[in-house]
Amino acid sequence: MLPNRAAVEGIAENMHLAEVKGRSLWADARTRFLRNRAAVISLIMLCAVAGFALFGGLIAQYKGDFVNFSLIGSNAYLGVPSLETGHYFGTDSNGRDLFARTVQGTGISLMVGVVGALVAVIVGTLYGATAGYYGGRIDGIMMRIVDVLMSIPFMFVLILMLVIFGRSIFMLFLGIGLISWLDMARIARGQTLTIKNKEFVEVAVATGVRPLKIILRHIVPNLLGIVIVYATLLVPNMIIFESFISFLGLGVQEPATSLGALINEGSRTMQFGYYWQIAFPLFFFIVTIFAFFFVGDGLRDALDPKDR
Amino acid sequence: MLSFVFRRLAVAVPTLLILVVLSFVLMYAAPGGPFNSERPLPPEVLANIEAKYGLDQPFWKQIVNYVVSVVTQFDFGPSFQYKDRSVNDVIAQGFPVTLTYGFWSFVVAVTVGVSLGVAAAIKQNSWVDYFAVGVSIGAQVLPNFVMAPLLLLVFTLWLGWLPGGGWNGGQWQFLIMPVIALSTSYMASIARITRSSMLEVLNTNFIRTARAKGLPMRRVIWKHAMKPTMLPVLSYLGPAFVGMITGSVIIDVFFSTGGIGQFFVNSAFNRDYSVIMGITILVGTLTILFNLLVDILYAWIDPKIRY
Amino acid sequence: MSLLEIEDLKVTFTTADGDVNAVNGVSFHVDKGETLAIVGESGSGKSQTAFATMGLLAKNGRATGKARFDGQDLLQMSQREFNAIRSKDIAMIFQDPMTSLNPYLKISDQMAEVLMLHKGIGKSQAVKESAQMLDAVRIPDAAARITMYPHEFSGGMRQRIMIAMSLLCQPRLLIADEPTTALDVTVQAQIMQLLGDIRQDFGTAVILITHDLGVVAGFCDRTLVMYGGQVMEEGTTDDIFATPAHPYTSGLLKAVPRLDRDDGDLLTIAGEPPDMSNLPKGCPFSPRCAVSLDRCRSQRPAMETIGNRRRACHLPASEVA
Repeated sequence: MLPNRAAVEGIAENMHLAEVKGRSLWADARTRFLRNRAAVISLIMLCAVAGFALFGGLIAQYKGDFVNFSLIGSNAYLGVPSLETGHYFGTDSNGRDLFARTVQGTGISLMVGVVGALVAVIVGTLYGATAGYYGGRIDGIMMRIVDVLMSIPFMFVLILMLVIFGRSIFMLFLGIGLISWLDMARIARGQTLTIKNKEFVEVAVATGVRPLKIILRHIVPNLLGIVIVYATLLVPNMIIFESFISFLGLGVQEPATSLGALINEGSRTMQFGYYWQIAFPLFFFIVTIFAFFFVGDGLRDALDPKDR
Repeated sequence: MLSFVFRRLAVAVPTLLILVVLSFVLMYAAPGGPFNSERPLPPEVLANIEAKYGLDQPFWKQIVNYVVSVVTQFDFGPSFQYKDRSVNDVIAQGFPVTLTYGFWSFVVAVTVGVSLGVAAAIKQNSWVDYFAVGVSIGAQVLPNFVMAPLLLLVFTLWLGWLPGGGWNGGQWQFLIMPVIALSTSYMASIARITRSSMLEVLNTNFIRTARAKGLPMRRVIWKHAMKPTMLPVLSYLGPAFVGMITGSVIIDVFFSTGGIGQFFVNSAFNRDYSVIMGITILVGTLTILFNLLVDILYAWIDPKIRY
Repeated sequence: MSLLEIEDLKVTFTTADGDVNAVNGVSFHVDKGETLAIVGESGSGKSQTAFATMGLLAKNGRATGKARFDGQDLLQMSQREFNAIRSKDIAMIFQDPMTSLNPYLKISDQMAEVLMLHKGIGKSQAVKESAQMLDAVRIPDAAARITMYPHEFSGGMRQRIMIAMSLLCQPRLLIADEPTTALDVTVQAQIMQLLGDIRQDFGTAVILITHDLGVVAGFCDRTLVMYGGQVMEEGTTDDIFATPAHPYTSGLLKAVPRLDRDDGDLLTIAGEPPDMSNLPKGCPFSPRCAVSLDRCRSQRPAMETIGNRRRACHLPASEVA
């Protein structure tokens, strides 16, 4: 479920190259990104989805937790999407406004995705940069730990944790954070090993700058390209991840909701012909995931132009 | 080679121990045990039951007992929920099912993914390439929990071709949808990795050398490009395996196939700790063994890796 | 008839930023058993000329013009016809021996497949002949080391393996693309000596592509100087070195460090190699040329032939120092 490591590793190479050639990498990257039509359209779509999540509540006619009792039991003809009733996306099987709930679900899914990816990237980068910078035995032990953690099927442990400590968004973040920083740590370590031997780091070491400062000031900034691309590709995976948990009923709890939970509900009622209950959440899910993948790919190609 | 395998095993054993201890600690820390129900049992009855399952003993003794019986006898103890069955019985019932559709999903994901990726790379920028890229991009947004309802909608509700769930001894009609739902997104990832890996390999100097020898393109690809192309694919198989085994939970829940995923989720909701732990450890062991297999394959392909 | 005759060869690459013309109308010939040097800076189109001749251009590259080998036009051949010639009649060795051998296959497999393909002999016989060839390029203990993988050899050894591999079918033409650039100086000399011996033993014609004039002297019969994808000057090596008739050639010669002369500072040619997607309208060298005329910037000089020499320069040969 995680982005492919090899795919982003060329970026650092290209950044070094750019350094040598003395051209502005970021300006070049922007030009290349803007030329990538799929990526630009996806970026616009992402903004639209984010806008929907942020401001959709303003045009919703009902609150997400308002139960329209007049519709219960007659969902098939009264709960259908309609402009007249104000239920733009219809209602769910409990008579709640699906538009308001989709707005909420999209927002929560986006938040989980972005926060989860940020946590993973920050932890992973610092861990990997530290391991790579110190090298030797410290590196050996730190990376062994990563190896060990990698071969644990964490989804099972996470489900265990959710069952034991109760289902909460915090638990979900913790669980997602536990898994997803591992790959980033490996990437960051590998790149740090090459950056470590560059002159500017050697100069810093020779002039007695403290290791922590070297890592934060000299090494991490040079990993920025990789980090941005990896984070962008990680967000959709985090969203999928959260949806997976919510689909099992273990993630976000009622009355709050997420796209995964909505898809789950929709999948249970589609056999009665209530297709809108799965169609709208699924649409937003797919558009969001698609857009993030394309933007991530676009960023990667912009920062590491190679024939793929 | 043998010492390489042994060294990898030396890492695998502590990993497994960590997994066992971790899940046991989690379980021990849990507020409320398996026998805390809404209608509280009389204290003496509860004590009796807990003594029967060894829950009254101190923490360290419980954990040692558990680890010893798991390691020496592969005995995960009795199920708390299914009173008349042991965890081993539960696994024996569910595991063959999971293994069957899991195996086929893996085969489908790898063969279709690799063929699509190779075809796309060889015919870069042709309709084959666009088709393969389109399929793999499309399939990436279709994880198992999206594929499952979509398949059900189309093949059961609309077309009525396939049964909507059940297992029926693994008859092919019951196998198709679980396998497709589980394999699609991994197939897509494998296709993408294969394609970009193959493109990169085809641009290397040693492929140019092979072409300069006058070898036909087919031979250049099979003999010279295939091995290096497969290396990144191989390293993706570990995560893919974990993902599929995790996805089996969804498959079992959605298609009522009756694999271990179903037992896992049921036990999770019923706090049937022994079953959860048993399944987690089983899955962990499988993952570790699979990763070992991948490592060995990797070392076999890449002569630069010293054993 | 010449062994290889290149006529008005053009190589164009299609890129996202527009077409790049790497080679712009190059003509030359190589006779049987002759050694020709193609000299120029990186980006002068010399390597692409060789790749076009071998049909090894990158996917986005196109070659037009004529490349007649033994009277047959290589550029018109089908893949199947071309494959029958590659390595059998024309072989090539590459610049970077570290990456030119397949790291995942044993040397024996990589060498034997050439013989099995072109001579149709069995595997064991092919391996035996390959080992003999390794012996001929002075790889010690060849019979045992042939089963090793490339990473177990040094750079110089790998280049010897590449040379041995290219000679397996005793080709009539060997194209050596900067064979010593990636190697240590001492190893460079050994490899050049090996190439010299091979040329004599097998009677193979050689095209040596290099940017290093020091390598050319004493090895090549004729020299072709390229710049900006065009031929600047061509003649016997002795003539070129003694009386360069093009400002670019004389600049290159002045940039060669020499131990037998004390000229003080080493001279360099000012400026950068040309941007191949946007060549100047006139002579490609004019922006960097110290003696360029107004005409040089607007009009491409025509190739003039004087005896066995060719040059493309507006300035009279007598005025080139």
